[in-house]
Amino acid sequence: MPSDFFGWVALILDKYGALFLQGTGYTLLVALTGTVMGFLLGLLVAILRTIPVLPKDPILKRIPVKALSILMSIYIEVFRGTPMIVQAMVIYYGSAQYLKLNMPVVFAAIFIVSINTGAYMAEIIRGGILSVDRGQREAAQAIGMTHWQSMVYVILPQAVRNIMPSIGNEFVVNIKDSSVLNVISFGELFFMSKSAAGTYLRYFEVFFVTACIYLALTFTITRLLRLVEKKMDGKSSYTIMGSQSHSKSMIRITGEEQPYGK
Amino acid sequence: MKKLLALSLVVLMILMSSLALAEGTFRVGMECNYAPFNWTQSEPNDFTVPIEGGQGYADGYDVQIARQIAEGLGKELVIVKTEWDGLPMGVTSGLFDAIIAGMSPTEERKATLDFSDPYYSSDLVVVVRKDSPFASAKSLAELSGANITGQLNTFHYTVIDQIPGVNRLNAMDTFPAMVVALQSGVIDGYVAERPGAEADTKANPDLTYVLFDEGQGFQASQADVSIAVGLQKGSPLTADINQILSGIDHETRIQMMLDATDRQPLNQDE
Repeated sequence: MPSDFFGWVALILDKYGALFLQGTGYTLLVALTGTVMGFLLGLLVAILRTIPVLPKDPILKRIPVKALSILMSIYIEVFRGTPMIVQAMVIYYGSAQYLKLNMPVVFAAIFIVSINTGAYMAEIIRGGILSVDRGQREAAQAIGMTHWQSMVYVILPQAVRNIMPSIGNEFVVNIKDSSVLNVISFGELFFMSKSAAGTYLRYFEVFFVTACIYLALTFTITRLLRLVEKKMDGKSSYTIMGSQSHSKSMIRITGEEQPYGK
Repeated sequence: MKKLLALSLVVLMILMSSLALAEGTFRVGMECNYAPFNWTQSEPNDFTVPIEGGQGYADGYDVQIARQIAEGLGKELVIVKTEWDGLPMGVTSGLFDAIIAGMSPTEERKATLDFSDPYYSSDLVVVVRKDSPFASAKSLAELSGANITGQLNTFHYTVIDQIPGVNRLNAMDTFPAMVVALQSGVIDGYVAERPGAEADTKANPDLTYVLFDEGQGFQASQADVSIAVGLQKGSPLTADINQILSGIDHETRIQMMLDATDRQPLNQDE
């Protein structure tokens, strides 16, 4: 048996390296799928919650819309207000016990992360929608777009650009929070490290390695997301072709003024 | 839209591939973190059984008993690694057929589970550091003033109060956690069953365990110090399992336990 720190780390990587890699794969799978599905869920919730209801609308429209809005609020409150670890226990073991539903663990893991992320995303997207100028909505209405059309074609593209940092944040948080799924025996990275630590009774060395892996994951993802943001922004300098007075002129706009926060 | 479709297909595929719960399998839930009863190792050998989900290989006294039972039932053995607290829920909801995890058939557990006949009996001991003043204790009274703990949700934790003047700390969730806490001085001792203490002290030469003199140790019922197979209430497997267990005599059980203690990964000289 090794006697020093690096000896132990080498042994653990040798014996458990493959399982750590497998665990990392599952962590990424759940974090990625959970964030994407949570984002879609949040989008749906945000769109449904912002359906405008005017007093002159028929009661047949107002009651379902109001009921839907209340339902969404309850969903957001409950899933933001309880820890994901508790949600995991309740959903996985509760459904097995009372609904006799034997969910495969991977499916359960993705489901739990999606539902939890969806609640947070709904609020983030609502913030994004609020940040878009009111004039955009008014202009869309003025040219006759329905609520759905104005949301999908005008408001949301702008809102999503504004909240990209928050979405990236959620993704990074999900990578780390997927570790709570070890309580339902999901084979992600933390579960594997508990195995390794339990077999060799080496907590510090094992969890040091695990921390390094998580750090590598989150660091890479944050840099990649920065790149995505830059791509979404497009070029900082561009040329406007033609103007009202001179149809053949070219006006060059340079991107010297940096947007706040970059 | 295309991405959404592709994504949902992937999820569906994952769902489908995990639905292959075949008949003719004997699914057993255990911690795989409680040497020498059950542990996880990364390399297979003649004694190991693969853990479901490709999470390594399980070995230990419980695994060997499980293999004998599966053979007797004519079914394929599948080990489902589960957290200790998830074991009763797993068997009552049908996630696996039996719990073979060094679990004692206490009265509280009998309210939710059925148990087979015991497949091992042991003494309760306290694992301490070799260089501590408690290493030479022979009775409960000599542990007075010590910081003692036990595993969460086990009867090990409930018997600590029998030590007069003890400082009972909050329970810890696994045995490895307690070993590390003991080595670092956070606790002075933890309650264990003798095979577990044997395994832990062999793996960590700086630890030893207190074996109490006759009548000087913890008072516990026979049900508390034996371990049995946990099953769903009214399970059809109980009678068959009892019959298979009656075919394993006392000497064989002792030998299997000693062999398991020798085999644990921490004992292997690299």
